[in-house]
Amino acid sequence: MNETVQRTVATRSWVTEELLMGLSPREYVRTLVTPWNIAAALVLLVGLPVIAYRFLYGLGAVTNLSQTNPWGLWIGLDVLCGVALAAGGYTLASSVYLFGLKEYYPLLRPAILTGFLGYFFVVVGLLVDLGQPWRIPYPVIYSYGVTSVMFLVAWHVFLYLTVQFLEFCPAILEWLGWRNIRRWVTRLTIGATVFGVILSTLHQSALGALFLMAPTRLHPLWYTPFIPIYFFISSIVAGLGMVIMESALSHKIFRDQIDPERHVELDAITLALGKAASVVLFTYLFLKLLGIADGGHWELLRTPFGHWFLVELLGFVLLPCFLFAHGVREKNVRLVRATAVLTVIGIIVNRLNVSIIAFNWDVPDRYVPSGMEVITSITIITLGILTFRWIVNRMPVLREHPEYRGVH
Amino acid sequence: MIPNDLLAMQSTKAMEYLIAVAFLLLFIPFWRFVNAKAVAERVVVSEVSRRLGRVLDWFLVPDQVYFHPGHAWARVGDGGLVTVGMDDFSQKLVGEVSAIRLPEVGARLGQGEKGWCLQSESKSIDMLSPVDGVVVAVNGQVVASPEKVNLDPYGDGWLLRVRAPRLAANLKQLLSGTLAKRWMEEVCENLRMMMDPDLGRVYQDGGLPIHGMARGLNPSRWDAVARTFFLT
Repeated sequence: MNETVQRTVATRSWVTEELLMGLSPREYVRTLVTPWNIAAALVLLVGLPVIAYRFLYGLGAVTNLSQTNPWGLWIGLDVLCGVALAAGGYTLASSVYLFGLKEYYPLLRPAILTGFLGYFFVVVGLLVDLGQPWRIPYPVIYSYGVTSVMFLVAWHVFLYLTVQFLEFCPAILEWLGWRNIRRWVTRLTIGATVFGVILSTLHQSALGALFLMAPTRLHPLWYTPFIPIYFFISSIVAGLGMVIMESALSHKIFRDQIDPERHVELDAITLALGKAASVVLFTYLFLKLLGIADGGHWELLRTPFGHWFLVELLGFVLLPCFLFAHGVREKNVRLVRATAVLTVIGIIVNRLNVSIIAFNWDVPDRYVPSGMEVITSITIITLGILTFRWIVNRMPVLREHPEYRGVH
Repeated sequence: MIPNDLLAMQSTKAMEYLIAVAFLLLFIPFWRFVNAKAVAERVVVSEVSRRLGRVLDWFLVPDQVYFHPGHAWARVGDGGLVTVGMDDFSQKLVGEVSAIRLPEVGARLGQGEKGWCLQSESKSIDMLSPVDGVVVAVNGQVVASPEKVNLDPYGDGWLLRVRAPRLAANLKQLLSGTLAKRWMEEVCENLRMMMDPDLGRVYQDGGLPIHGMARGLNPSRWDAVARTFFLT
């Protein structure tokens, strides 16, 4: 009897300490009333019924998709951009575990969490986008469909999501206080990380490879046989940009969680990441030029689509490449951070160009996303940010757990 | 086949080779541009480290005391009362304190929120409370003669006694023992990074005046330097 009471008290104190962050339920609810939370609540208030409406009445009722334009904003933004911007996970995991650059360790957990949530919400986006969402596990467990490139994509997402969950497990287990299981899972983590790096490099390029099947639909300036390589290399830039941007934001928003010495450390890491990004962008720029030369499409640069291509190439590749290099040279951390934002916007522009803007560029029936598609996308992104914050506030992501300090 | 025809046929390949060669040639100046200052700075940093030696030994980090990253300490006493003060690093960073404004008995404190205020040379600097709770006693002797903080920061220089209802949760967020020493090592490392490389020339014995280091680092904005370490 006494033991039951003790256990109940222990459970209650765990709920208060770890779930409610040491506050009483009433105090906790009071802390939730902030301008950002109100805005997020408004988005959900509008967005969740729209998503419910889509599941009740089907894609036709909500989207502007058609047989000519079967892929729209949800694939372009939520899936293609989501996957590219989740690349911070594999970029940092390979730096720390494969190349032994331990100084990046403090940013690894937030990057892996972003990667995991990025992929998780890619799946959420896919569920909304698929005509028969209940069939999403089919390629894995029921009807493989090995002749479809979607087989590859489905397996990549399924395996990589599992691997990223495993990679993030130590943080969850530290939070739960399950020491023994954590020790075992940590051993798995290294193997999972190596497997994850292989999977994600394959997957980033496989998403580009999807467009190899549409040579006549994609504008010649964006269509090249190199497109899988472009997707892979630009994902490294996206990953680096996201890590720089997100670490700066996290250090500002979750300032109280971060050891003071981390703030100084972060500046040095930001500059190093900026340098890496500038070198990758420099390489990417020349590869893009090779793509134009390979197709012999120089004259297309004088058309309106060519001008837009140049905006992408000069404004979102050459310019950030120079700004990163300049910022690193001058040790200007703010410039590096601002450039990271520009780079992330550039990657979004590129993925939207490939999947929507330059896709079906010559058909009369151009696709423009409907209002409800836009609301759904914003809702999914908001859900992702809220989940990230919920986890960071509770689990040892930005700070090290006191009992596991220095244990990597 | 005349050479011109050959070039026309292979123009695509030729262009690709040109781009590849241009990449390799331009990469060299690009790499030099990005790395321009790195070598010079590495030399300076190692020079400063050599001159200043191990800074950690300057600061007391006693056991049985819990440290907040904002350089306040807390010691748990009998009956769950917590004694609170500012650590050795903070008093050496600020130097001579002309006045300390402490909260009144009965005031509520929040962990990581403003706890008290130091005054020196017409500048005031806030410090953060290491625990949540209600102030039950204030060290009147420190208010009357603030130099006690400089003489004995962990003893007579205590500032407040606090009844802390969420002590267990609060202590989880604080550092003690070897963790505190590691943290102080890292704080010292940051301090060393902030030290001007030229200081070596000014202080020829290889050290800094420990008392009032913030003034040594930046005479006009020393309060801002202190605030960086106190997280306020």
